[in-house]
Amino acid sequence: MVSLFLLGVASCAQAVKLVVIGDAGHNLKPFEWYAQTFKEKFDVELEVIGVPFGEVYEKEKMELIGQTGAYDIMIVFPKFLAEFAANGWLYPLDEFIAKLDPKMEDVTPGYRDFYCKYGGKVYALPYDGDILNLYYRKDLLENEEEKANFKAKYGYDLKVPETWDEFLNVAEFFTRKKGEKLAGQVLERAFYGTAYYGQKDQIFAWWGNIFSSLGGVYFNEETMEPGINSEAGVKALEIMKTMHQYCPPDVLAYGYEELKDVFLQGDCFMVVQWPCVGKKGADANQSKIVGKIGVAHVPGVKKDGEIYYRPLMPCGRVLAIAAESKDPWKAYQVIQYLSLETSLDDVSTAETGLDPYRYSHFNHPEAYEMFENVEDAKIYLAGVQQNMEKGYPEMVLPGTVEYEETLGVEISRALSGEKTPKQALDDAAKAWTEILNRLGKENQKKMYQELVKGWRAAGLWE
Amino acid sequence: MGIPTRFLFGGVLMRKKRISVVALLFVLPVIAILLAISIFPLIYSFYLSLCQWDIGTGASRTFIGARNYLRLFTDARLWGALRNTGLELLLGVGSQFLLGLALALLLNRPFRGRNLVVTLFLLPMMISPVVVGCIWKIIYHYQYGPLNFLLERLKLNSVNWLGSNQVSIYSIILADIWEWTPFVMITLLAGLQAIPDELYEAARVDGATRLGTFFWVVLPLLRPVMIIAILIRVMDAFKIFDLVALLTMGGPGQSSETIAFYNYLTGFKYFSMGYASSMAYLQLAIIVIIANVFLKSWKGREIS
Repeated sequence: MVSLFLLGVASCAQAVKLVVIGDAGHNLKPFEWYAQTFKEKFDVELEVIGVPFGEVYEKEKMELIGQTGAYDIMIVFPKFLAEFAANGWLYPLDEFIAKLDPKMEDVTPGYRDFYCKYGGKVYALPYDGDILNLYYRKDLLENEEEKANFKAKYGYDLKVPETWDEFLNVAEFFTRKKGEKLAGQVLERAFYGTAYYGQKDQIFAWWGNIFSSLGGVYFNEETMEPGINSEAGVKALEIMKTMHQYCPPDVLAYGYEELKDVFLQGDCFMVVQWPCVGKKGADANQSKIVGKIGVAHVPGVKKDGEIYYRPLMPCGRVLAIAAESKDPWKAYQVIQYLSLETSLDDVSTAETGLDPYRYSHFNHPEAYEMFENVEDAKIYLAGVQQNMEKGYPEMVLPGTVEYEETLGVEISRALSGEKTPKQALDDAAKAWTEILNRLGKENQKKMYQELVKGWRAAGLWE
Repeated sequence: MGIPTRFLFGGVLMRKKRISVVALLFVLPVIAILLAISIFPLIYSFYLSLCQWDIGTGASRTFIGARNYLRLFTDARLWGALRNTGLELLLGVGSQFLLGLALALLLNRPFRGRNLVVTLFLLPMMISPVVVGCIWKIIYHYQYGPLNFLLERLKLNSVNWLGSNQVSIYSIILADIWEWTPFVMITLLAGLQAIPDELYEAARVDGATRLGTFFWVVLPLLRPVMIIAILIRVMDAFKIFDLVALLTMGGPGQSSETIAFYNYLTGFKYFSMGYASSMAYLQLAIIVIIANVFLKSWKGREIS
């Protein structure tokens, strides 16, 4: 009797074990940092499973399809949310939100309205606010010798490029060979004007920054004819092809790490990258150019006297709960804690790749201690916020991965000289039409129209 | 009075039946496991290859007959992947064989420290494929990699190992050669060691030169082992995935995409399960044809 009693007590005293899955590395650190807190506050023990970034989607999907209940908390890339929610694989959070408020009104509209919701219900809480930004070497921009040489060559003052034409000029100007001079110093190795994400999974976003600023749209809402091979699409790829000349020769093999490192190791004048690069750039352990980085909006085109720019919002991370979770309420308490209580600490450290997504994240520059001073932090946050307000959303449809990678393959082919930009995008559009028909055109059209309706309501679509 | 035959044989029959039932019971678990992990997936995946099933849309399986197989013929990306795989088989496995044979011949003689040297040569094969991919990613780095550093020191131009659509597939092949030549070497070395010394002596006595001995004594006797080594490498090389995933993700464009990698993308990124299954069966058919050619060649040698 006593032993049975003790067993009962022991089992009651045992914390609930929840399994977390996400991309391995720095973005899982908060789950480890607050492990003790979760145990004390919510009686939850977490088993954290990290998988390679490129495999998160299939690892999660396989378990969800099989309804194995293998995962409780999932870091989901927003582009998969619609698919997961539509298939009933995620737990809707509205009832939990009513009990424990995650203060969603503090979240910037793009993340709040599109990346966490599906069909009017909330299925996730934000965790990482990705938006592309332009980072540049402000020390080189302010160098008198470089300024004079630039003015002599291009006829206007050297400044942060605001249009794609200016971007190409600056990239060309700062591309130097080994042995040439840069800011009065002889270069020991080549220096490049710019670089971009070259691998096929995300290259669409770097092309997309140009495409969106030229007025490009993914599909025609009524006919579902792909818009990627429109005049805007072809022009965007032609601009990217010109840009390619000012990049490291192996740029087509660049993923996140290579693109971050070429800039932070001081081999490149400017890059378009996620917000975490600004934080890591201020950390002497990860950067050789601390204090030399400026942040600005991605370039655009001049339209009616104003610069029209639209940075893509690729990737991002939200925290969702699997429909088969053994304890959804406890799982929600954990994700609410991360998304609200600790979020400022998590996004303001260079130890994670998590980026600001709440207005409160932008209003506390003093929390970003990696910067030399609060002013530098304010400049960084102002740059990121500037881009966030004009974000061009990623497509959130079933099949998004296939659309993006197929487009990525063709963009890569054009940039490597295998095809002309027009040929490449025509082939991409043909592939998109085939995917669309295979996945069910009418269903895709309905979902796309819903997406566009929401984007329009949020002022992110024309 | 003897025991009636029918009872005698009936008894034996009963005992045989009992033994058969017992034997079956012992074998049943293995049969069940084989059915579960081998036969059932084979049959089910073949059925899937005759269906359209895009899991991502939540759609159910729809039987479409041979349409997935017909789609294979018009899929340009598939043929590009097959071309890259063919290059890997010809260049990669071919080089592994030639290098492996040369190393095996060099190591097939006693010398001091031979065992240590053989062990060192085996190291690449013992490293986890993922680690091999990571090592070669660093080696191939355009700016910081040791390979381009060496080329620069020799006053040669740096090579765009991973970022050029003309070079990337060869970079993968080179890494594969480094990793698997030791396997061919050790297999052929074992074959060489099995050749009796008397045959070498007899050849010497008959006045054969070293080259003659190699072509008329060693090669014929080594042939079965060579066929096995090449066959195993061909089957493995056909499935090459880890180096592609770690080094280039099949890029730039599709220039280093192999059939196994494209199959993985189709099945586990795009979740087009029916089409991915048909692709897997195409690969199976190709491997079976290649294996049959090799095995017929081996059997032909045995008959002669």
